Amino acid sequence: MTTEVTYEPEADRIMNVALGPQHPGAGHFRIQLWLDGDYVVKAEPDPGYVHRGEEKMCEYRNYIQNVPHLERPVILDSSNILFPYALAVDELMGNKVPPRGQYLRVIMSEINRIISHMYFLGIMGMFVGHTTMTTWGMGDRDFWIDIAERIGGARVTFAYIIPGGVRNDMPEGLKERALKTCDWFEKRMDEYEKIFFKNPLYLERTENVGVLTAEDAVKYGATGTVLRASGVRKDVRKDEPYSAYEDFDFDIPVLNSGDSWARSYIALLEMRESVKIIRQAFKNMPQGQVRLKLGPQPRVPPGEVFARTEAARGEMSYHLISDGSPRPYRVKIGTPSFKNMRVLPHLLKGVHVADIPAIYWSLNYWPVEADR
Amino acid sequence: MVEVQKTGTFQVLVGKLNEVLQEYIGDPVRYLANWGRLYSLWPVHLETACCSVELGAAAGSRFDMERFGALEAFGSLRACDLLIVTGTVTRKLAPRLKLIYDQMAEPRWVIAMGACAITGGLYFDSYNVLRGIDDIIPVDVYVPGCPPRAEALLQGLVLLQEKIRRLPSLKGV
Repeated sequence: MTTEVTYEPEADRIMNVALGPQHPGAGHFRIQLWLDGDYVVKAEPDPGYVHRGEEKMCEYRNYIQNVPHLERPVILDSSNILFPYALAVDELMGNKVPPRGQYLRVIMSEINRIISHMYFLGIMGMFVGHTTMTTWGMGDRDFWIDIAERIGGARVTFAYIIPGGVRNDMPEGLKERALKTCDWFEKRMDEYEKIFFKNPLYLERTENVGVLTAEDAVKYGATGTVLRASGVRKDVRKDEPYSAYEDFDFDIPVLNSGDSWARSYIALLEMRESVKIIRQAFKNMPQGQVRLKLGPQPRVPPGEVFARTEAARGEMSYHLISDGSPRPYRVKIGTPSFKNMRVLPHLLKGVHVADIPAIYWSLNYWPVEADR
Repeated sequence: MVEVQKTGTFQVLVGKLNEVLQEYIGDPVRYLANWGRLYSLWPVHLETACCSVELGAAAGSRFDMERFGALEAFGSLRACDLLIVTGTVTRKLAPRLKLIYDQMAEPRWVIAMGACAITGGLYFDSYNVLRGIDDIIPVDVYVPGCPPRAEALLQGLVLLQEKIRRLPSLKGV
């Protein structure tokens, strides 16, 4: 018997490579890549490395016990993932949150947005090889963490926004310190703009890389910074004002280019608006109670509710079903990272391998949040 | 010619010095090797869950892990000798974690960071979470907390260095 071996140079042209889960460019996440030389032919995200069954866990804990583990999926942005949960439970129970509680919720949410965006900018610098951006971003983030720590008592997991209001009032002297940090931070952001976003090296790595048009962004269901960087003005804080957001005067920054540069620059613009909101909230802070007195095991009337807020990465939503028992019947968490991940295979098609980190991290993808 | 005292405080001191040298240095080659290892730990870049945020803060400019001798996590697995498991390990990640540990060259050390990596933590009753990583890989230092503060991680690193300093043999673990 003879076997004929033929050499086909085209047959093994396409190489299958896994990026992650152990890779400096992908944490707890894997992208399966099909490469033709230096070009990506096809990319397939493979999430699920941190799937911890949050939604199932909600079903055997009561409404207050659910608070600590629900903020873990997006620990950078822990107040913003609890915000829609608290809104949903409040709506089902018919809680009227006191105005001071509403304002404190807004303050904590905006501080968390800044903390999350600073981390994003820091890691973005690491991914494109701009070490100064990494050290500045991670260092300046800690000034805001200090303020959040004085309100919430922990560095990243505050469990601050709970059903019925917020956990505690802010301490004495916090207002002065926060306003001082706002002043300093606004000057600091001008430096960021000059040193990073107008830096020719940074522009070279990110401009016209991974361009997402407005039609595609809507078609793939992108949300948050990714959607607004593509020129679609959509923000839950303006479209459906919740909590006290209709009291504040702020803009929704929108950029039109839709590339990696725009997706990172819009984080800076959003932080400017957050500082504006924090200033107004401290200025017009009402007096009074910060939360309603709920029992240790509050009973929630049967019903179904959907609540959504604007988290740092985009629209965060909860669908909650109650059957009248102390525990929820079903909780569904809709996270912005999962929505933005659907854009990734589309953006990675046909790019150079060297552009993958700049595109991947510009989506501000947090795998723990997407996997829940 | 100097007369060496046969008794008295001088000899007691020499004896003490000898004891101390025996205890801490012993074999000078081993001492030098361990000294070299403990100030140039190369961590693996593996993030398993949310504690990686505090690892990022510890490596960032405020806490600066590098001043204790843990370098940037960009090396190849063959060159790395420190594996920091940052949080929950799920059923999907567990075989990969074992594979990553097996690929590292000896001597290698593991820090289990956070309650989830130690016992499963908040997620002890979840269907997809391992109750502690010491079922699959050996752990040298446990850093408790949910998540541990960056200072706690630094303390864990210093404890690990203390362990490396006292390693009995050249081969390591």
